Amino acid sequence: MSDQEKEKEKLNVPVAPADLSHATGTPLPAAKPGGPGEDGTAQYFYGEALVGFDPSEITGNLIVIEGMDGSGRSTQIALLQEWLESEGFAVQTSGLRRSNLVGRDIDELLAKNAVTRLTLALMYATDFFDQVEHRVLPALRSGTVVLADRFIFTLVARGVVRGINRDYLSGLYAMALRPHLTFWLNVRPETAFAREFKKAQAISYWEAGRDMSLSHDLYWSFIRYQTMIKREFEVMAKRHSFIELDGEASVSAVNKQLRQRIGDQLGIRATKYTPSAALAHLWR
Amino acid sequence: MPSRAYPGALIVVEGTDGSGKSTQLYLLKRWLEIGGYRLHFTEWNSSPLVKSATRRGKQRRLLTPTTFSLLHAADFADRCERQIMPLLQGDYLVLADRYIYTAFARDAARGCPGRWLRNLYRFAPVPDITFYFRAPLDVAVNRILSGRPKLKYYEAGMDMALSYDRAESFRLFQARILEEYDKMVDSDSFVVLDGTLPVNKLQKQMRDIVASKIDLKRFAPGLPAPE
Repeated sequence: MSDQEKEKEKLNVPVAPADLSHATGTPLPAAKPGGPGEDGTAQYFYGEALVGFDPSEITGNLIVIEGMDGSGRSTQIALLQEWLESEGFAVQTSGLRRSNLVGRDIDELLAKNAVTRLTLALMYATDFFDQVEHRVLPALRSGTVVLADRFIFTLVARGVVRGINRDYLSGLYAMALRPHLTFWLNVRPETAFAREFKKAQAISYWEAGRDMSLSHDLYWSFIRYQTMIKREFEVMAKRHSFIELDGEASVSAVNKQLRQRIGDQLGIRATKYTPSAALAHLWR
Repeated sequence: MPSRAYPGALIVVEGTDGSGKSTQLYLLKRWLEIGGYRLHFTEWNSSPLVKSATRRGKQRRLLTPTTFSLLHAADFADRCERQIMPLLQGDYLVLADRYIYTAFARDAARGCPGRWLRNLYRFAPVPDITFYFRAPLDVAVNRILSGRPKLKYYEAGMDMALSYDRAESFRLFQARILEEYDKMVDSDSFVVLDGTLPVNKLQKQMRDIVASKIDLKRFAPGLPAPE
């Protein structure tokens, strides 16, 4: 069995009783297992194919950059976009809470802090799939390189640390596209804290996982929360063959490694790059 | 049957548009209210939390089968976590006008995979009684078309491009939904009622079934919820 098939097996496990503390009724009978189509669905999706989508239309590349806040994701994406465009590739980006459908609604829910964890998880899923259908897939159909600033992995990790069943979340994202490359910029929570604090002179409620009552102390809440998230990433890194990069290294060193791997994927031979004046401030 | 973690009871009505289910649930609710029972009534798609998103998505026609389904699941999760579960735990009778089976039927009719849908809603408590009001397609569709001539875009299933004519699209969509409901009768233990019977006869059947399946005394007036 290939790794990919094993992966599929894991994500297609029949639904076990949900471990949402409040979901206690008789488990609903599972629908008949009708495996994913024979048309290469598994190559493009984790489980089920998206409704009304033909995978053979994909000509672009989906490249995911994951990592906690302060890991350098946005910096690297800005640099990669410039590099790819200078190499003649069309680039589209996606990220969390950027959908036209519910992006702003999630911002409002977060600001009001008046939402339960499951509802929030499902709003993020709506946001994710709206971007997949209206932004990512159209780009991939036209041969564009999509740089995703975080993906389902962050969303799954956030749900799992809040007690939502892992299988439930895997099932929810069974129709997510399988990225061509997934990078994980791994940093220590302490480093991330320092970088984030420097950026905004503050740490947000959600970044610190304050909803989880881990500590009244902002610093410790941040460290504990991000450590929990990091553990989930360590689990997923193996399952989903992440390319792990040391996010503590310099911007230029991380960028070089990214360019090499992406260059291999896209068939770009020479991956030399120096940022333009507009982005030079990022290069340190 | 596995033991459950709440003392309350959940009664659900399901059926296609025009099957008479809302009228019947209203009459059941009146009967229980007049009797003084502790109850709460909840409707599909009524949470203020995601209302603006749903409205925007519908107005601008941004919704696909997947996001349509997810947004309604988010809405239901909000109601489930904040109303239905706490009330069931607090020993209430909860009456639901439409429940997860509406999503199973309607979203499957739009092409969403059944297994994905079942997973999506598996946090929902299983009802004590699910009444399925079954009316032949023509009866149900004519009830709607005669009383409510302006069908909305998604309501008529126009997003599936079944027909350019709204009424015809609605009919084709409802036929698919009816088919999906019928598939769940056995697997989800629906109590099937004939939606073409006179209102008062149907209500009598419904009340008899509720009285026989649920220990109503537990929700009776003068009895506070047990500790």
